[in-house]
Amino acid sequence: MKRSAFDRKIDKIIGSRKIIVSCGTGGVGKTTLSAAIALRAAMQGKRTAVITIDPAKRLATSLGIQVSKDLGDQPKDITEELNKVLRKLGYVDENITGSLSALMPDTQKTFETLLKELTPSEAIRERVVKNPIFQVFTQEFSGANEYMALERLYQLYQNGNYDCIILDTPPSRNTLAFLTAPKLLSRLFEEKLIRFLVLPTNKLLSAGMRKALGILERLTGAGFMTHLFDFMSSLFEVQLSFTANLNKIMALMASPEVGFVMVAAPSPDLAPEVSHFIETLRQHRFHFDGIILNRTFSYLGELPAASALQQEAFAIVKSLQKREKKVSDELKGDAAFICARLPELARDVHSVEDLFHVAMAFDRKSSLE
Amino acid sequence: MDLFNKNLIFVGGKGGVGKTSISKAIARALSEQNRSTLWTTFEDPTQTAGSLQKVSPYLWEFNCDASAAFEEYAQMKIGMAPLTKIFLQNKVVRYLSKAAPGIHELVLLGKVWHERKNYEHVVVDMPSTGYGLAMFQSTRNFANLFKGGPIHRDAEAMLETFADPKATGHLIVALPEEMPLRESIELRDFLAKLFPLNGASFLVNRVFPKIEGNPEINPAPDAWPTPIPENVTDYAQKRNLVETHNLRIWEEAGIAYEEVPFLAAEDFGSPLTIVPQITRQLTRASLV
Repeated sequence: MKRSAFDRKIDKIIGSRKIIVSCGTGGVGKTTLSAAIALRAAMQGKRTAVITIDPAKRLATSLGIQVSKDLGDQPKDITEELNKVLRKLGYVDENITGSLSALMPDTQKTFETLLKELTPSEAIRERVVKNPIFQVFTQEFSGANEYMALERLYQLYQNGNYDCIILDTPPSRNTLAFLTAPKLLSRLFEEKLIRFLVLPTNKLLSAGMRKALGILERLTGAGFMTHLFDFMSSLFEVQLSFTANLNKIMALMASPEVGFVMVAAPSPDLAPEVSHFIETLRQHRFHFDGIILNRTFSYLGELPAASALQQEAFAIVKSLQKREKKVSDELKGDAAFICARLPELARDVHSVEDLFHVAMAFDRKSSLE
Repeated sequence: MDLFNKNLIFVGGKGGVGKTSISKAIARALSEQNRSTLWTTFEDPTQTAGSLQKVSPYLWEFNCDASAAFEEYAQMKIGMAPLTKIFLQNKVVRYLSKAAPGIHELVLLGKVWHERKNYEHVVVDMPSTGYGLAMFQSTRNFANLFKGGPIHRDAEAMLETFADPKATGHLIVALPEEMPLRESIELRDFLAKLFPLNGASFLVNRVFPKIEGNPEINPAPDAWPTPIPENVTDYAQKRNLVETHNLRIWEEAGIAYEEVPFLAAEDFGSPLTIVPQITRQLTRASLV
């Protein structure tokens, strides 16, 4: 394999940011690309970590490591394995000058660690964790997964062991889900409302409030309300420190240390999705670093004449090329820009060796560039 | 497929496999047989919240919205208008309906469940695997958490309908790619735990057309030195081989499935121009 000059746009991003957040909907290859960017950073001498919150555990597969054994809440250093693969690929005198670690935070565990930081009281922590509402809360898409990814990212950033951290955001239907999660979660901590819930027998309650809560209780049955009040009042204890913590994280995300990229396939509805994404980043004062267009076909160039048996297949590739061109043109007019274009692969990424091929594919130039 | 005779049809699968196009094509094909059909998606941010549109004499499209459904549910349960108003305008209730985990999902599924009586078919474009599962799971959790109240009874009744093979069908869509195929087995197993008597049906979307093979290419994808194809012929042939290889994942799991071919989009004006083409495929193959 040819040595990379590391002079592509993605390398500039790696050089200028300490944290790269990769966003995107499911099925676009976000996890593989996050790992490939991390590998590229490590090859440029960065001490790198890649974080994934992926229930499908794709990151482990692309890193060629075993999920249960190796990939967990603590960073697993895989630099040695990578160096072995480098030799195998023919880079005889070269070593990864930086390092690469991977981790997959455990949402529930991160939440417990966070609670520990927020309150010294073990009694309160236990009340929160044992509450059935908490069980629902950490399992479901209430923004908890997204928030805990940020929390773990912050911990890692603070311990100072890494020059470059790539955050592979949880898969979601909507690219923006990740950005709105902290806000969603902070709603849980709205102080005034929690007060109402915590003090249901408050004598100051208006007749309207009493009536509404009465209906709620009738609809849900007593068990749920009791658990909910209990959960809320436990959370209330940590509300102030939670908000302070959230503000710290959001300030980091908005700092020039952090860049956001969007991984996307060239689907026909991409342009509006991208403008929506950029607009939301702007509102948060987050820094947009570009779109990584994945699963592209332009690198195949102009197709040769097809035989009768090839016709149908070539027609599809041609239509995908046309679509890519159209999407690229639409994006050109916008504040959006494509910072990398990666080829559609012939098969899934299975090993660290494959990941090298993908990391090196950032060097390919497309006719659409 | 027997699936398409059912009143309520959930279309699930991993993100990006074409659930929206497939579910729309199914709804369209059903409506073309003069069966009144409601196609539903959940909170599509690019469409008006809660909008219901009649798109042809037998076909309606609905963008189900949780806050509208929540209000409707409250009205139904509380009855008296002034009381409902007090309830819905209450700060704590409004806060809970937005922030309390799980309520959102319960309300969305509840709305679909309620609408099933108004149409011959309701075809639901489910969110991708994890979130889709969470929707069913939260209904289960709520049935467990809310003891005794009307919400508990409704959640139980919803689950009963979703578990009933005469009333509800679960379709899992995948692409002939490794991750979607594997994820759909997890989805199947999860659904089987929730609805043991109502097994899912399977569809693999975007199956690439076969081309003549170069016998020198090793049929085992793992033997190829790189995942990056050299040229279009190499790509097309490897794609054929990979698909055959990947579909073994389903075959080994004992899954019988139908196929929808990869269709070249006739134009790229909107993401759904492909729907009529898929509809023709489904009808031609007598699937619907």
